[in-house]
Amino acid sequence: MAHPSQLGFQDATSPVMEELLHFHDHTLMIVFLISTLVLYIIIAMVTTKLTNKFILDSQEIEIIWTLLPAMILILIALPSLRILYLMDEISNSHLTIKTIGHQWYWSYEYTDYENITFDSYMTPTQDLMPGQFRLLETDHRMVVPMESPTRILVSADDVLHSWAVPSLGIKMDAVPGRLNQTAFIVSRPGVYYGQCSEICGANHSFMPIVVEAVPLKYFEDWSSLMLQDA
Amino acid sequence: MAEEDEGSPNKGFKLLGILDVQRIPCSREAILHGAGGSLAAGMLYFLATSRVRRSFDVGFAGFMITTLGSWFYCRISNAKLRVQQRFLQEGIKNKVVYEGTVLDPTKKPKPEAPSAPP
Repeated sequence: MAHPSQLGFQDATSPVMEELLHFHDHTLMIVFLISTLVLYIIIAMVTTKLTNKFILDSQEIEIIWTLLPAMILILIALPSLRILYLMDEISNSHLTIKTIGHQWYWSYEYTDYENITFDSYMTPTQDLMPGQFRLLETDHRMVVPMESPTRILVSADDVLHSWAVPSLGIKMDAVPGRLNQTAFIVSRPGVYYGQCSEICGANHSFMPIVVEAVPLKYFEDWSSLMLQDA
Repeated sequence: MAEEDEGSPNKGFKLLGILDVQRIPCSREAILHGAGGSLAAGMLYFLATSRVRRSFDVGFAGFMITTLGSWFYCRISNAKLRVQQRFLQEGIKNKVVYEGTVLDPTKKPKPEAPSAPP
């Protein structure tokens, strides 16, 4: 999860998010260099004593400040397109989970083998145990096996919602009457938090998402337990 | 989670408020190389021409070129290392899975026994 006053991304938990972090670092360095160049030019303009009121045209600098931005944009666009197509690759998912947005909670359905269905409500602040996170914890977590391609089908029951988990690099709109598909692989075990990312009413800020990635054996134990409780 | 890495009170050092040189891999080395290259280029130009203002311009150009060059070199090296790491991880996983079977890559093929005479 994010720590207080965090500005940067959370640590990556999926290969796609790792790629996005690398791309962000690459683009940020380019932006930093452009900002430094602009700052230097401003200082140079302000401190120069040279003035020429009769400049008409200057082919060389016009060529430079046309070609250079074009090259910079290509340098940014190529990795960007690479990641865009990487995110759209079709993977053979081992598990499909349906995520339905409601006002104001998420429900999850694991229907590949048996029928496991549960709702995930935010844990109220007064019910939190010591060490739990305010406005982020839920009563039931979405458990997924780690290192296993997982497909998520996102939809909504009433109004627009959005299912987002920053450390997985996922954000997918939940639209009533529509199934949106996304896929991910969780690289390491852990608990990953997200929040609804489309305004959906009074409690939009109070319907978080919690993904718990566990080894396959524990996932099987958990699903057996869920079936018994059903 | 990200906050487990934030145990130290150090919040990172951001150049121009955007580039966190402590957290972004290769950024610190790129900026330091750039600073060195800038100093070297500017000083050499000044020693050669004694033009102060132009030396600053040359120094700045040296900073840009050295920073970019160091950055891309470091990033490409890191990317190659990551690819090798993935191959190694895959190989270790395969070794564990295939150990003792016909597909074991470390298993040496037994020399064929000569056929018995008729």
